[in-house]
Amino acid sequence: MLQPEIQHAVQTAPEKFNPSETIIGHVANSGHDHPLIHLPTWMGIDFSVTKHVLMLWLVAAFLFVAITWLVRRYVRQDADRLVPSGTMNALEAIVEFVRDSIALPNVGKKWVRTWTPLLLTFFVFILASNVIGLIPIFDVLALLQHTVLHLPEDAFLVRVIHGGTTATGNYNVTAALATITFFVVIIAGSKAHGFVKHWLNLAPGGLAWPLYIILIPIEIMGMFVRPFALTMRLAANMTGGHLALLAILSFVFIFAELFGHAAAGVGVGLVLSVPLSVGISALEIIVVLVQAYVFTLLTAVFIGMAIHAHH
Amino acid sequence: MGIAFMGAGLGLGLAVIGAGLGIGKLAAGAAEAIGRQPSAAAQITGAVNLPLFLLEGVAILAEVFALLIVLMNKAG
Repeated sequence: MLQPEIQHAVQTAPEKFNPSETIIGHVANSGHDHPLIHLPTWMGIDFSVTKHVLMLWLVAAFLFVAITWLVRRYVRQDADRLVPSGTMNALEAIVEFVRDSIALPNVGKKWVRTWTPLLLTFFVFILASNVIGLIPIFDVLALLQHTVLHLPEDAFLVRVIHGGTTATGNYNVTAALATITFFVVIIAGSKAHGFVKHWLNLAPGGLAWPLYIILIPIEIMGMFVRPFALTMRLAANMTGGHLALLAILSFVFIFAELFGHAAAGVGVGLVLSVPLSVGISALEIIVVLVQAYVFTLLTAVFIGMAIHAHH
Repeated sequence: MGIAFMGAGLGLGLAVIGAGLGIGKLAAGAAEAIGRQPSAAAQITGAVNLPLFLLEGVAILAEVFALLIVLMNKAG
C-alpha cells in the first residue's frame, strides 16, 4: 500500500506519458494479482485465468465450433455427391496445403497419414491465435467503455478490455507447443525405428571413438536447442510486431508532450505514425501467415529427420 | 547503466547487419538460380525457405536478448 500523501500526489500529478510502461502493459500478460477470473491454487499452481489464457480458450473454442460445424454440415450431404462448397473449400485448401507441401516432402509417404493431423492442428491453431491477436476487438471495447458504456471498474468486461493480445506472443504458450514438438520427435523416431534405435540414430555410427566425446553432447544439446528456437521465434515475432506498432503510435504522445501542444502530436500522427503503422500492420498479416507455416514446417522437418536418419 | 542501453542498441544493429547480409545472399542466390532455370522455381524456393527461417530465428533471438538487456537494466 502507498502512503496516503504519496497516493494523493500520484493522483494529482499531471499524468506523464511513459511509453515503455504503456507498451509493455499492452503486450505482457496480466499479472497474477489481477487475473480476469480468480480460480483456486491447486498443487502450488495458480489456475487463475489471465488474458492470454482467455485468448487461448477463445481461439480453441472458436476453432472447435467452427471446424466441427463445417465438417458436420459437409458430411451430412448426400453421399453420392460430396462436393465441398464455400468455407469448406477454404478448409480443404488448408488441409491439402499442409498435407501436400508441409507433411509429404518431409515426413515421407509412409508416415503422412500418421503425422498430418498433428501438423494440421499446429498450423490451424497457431494461425488462428496469431490472426485473432491482430484484430483489435478489445481496444474497440475499451473505446466503447470510455465513450458510451462507463461500466464500474471491477466489471468483468472492464478487466477484459486490456486483454486481447496475441496468445502466441506469450513465451509460455509457445514453449508448451515446442514441448509437444520435442516429444513428438522422440515418438516419431521410436515408431519408425524402435525406442533404442532412435537414440542410437542420433549420432552417426562407425567413427573413431574420440569423436563421440564431442558428438554426443552436441547432439543432445541440439535436441533441446531446436524446441527452444521454435519457442523464441514464434513468440518474439508475435511480440515484436505489436511492440513496433505501439512504439510508432507512441510518437504521437511523445511529441505532444515534447512540444507541450496537442497539435504537434496530431501532426506527427497524421504524417508519420498512422501511415507507418498501417504499413506495419500489412506486414504483420504476412508475418502471421509465415510464422504459422514456419512452426509447422520445422516440426515436420524435425519429425522427418527422426524418421529418415541416414546413419 | 547508460552503457547497457548502448550495448543493447549496438547488439541489435550488429544482428540486423548479419541477418540482412544473410537474407541478401539467399535472395540473390535464389534469384540467380531461378533466372537460369525458371522451370525449377518451386524447388528452389523450397530449398531457400528453410535456411531463411533458421536465419530469421537467429536474428529474432538476438533481438529478444537485446530487449532482455534493456528490461533487466530498467528493473535493477
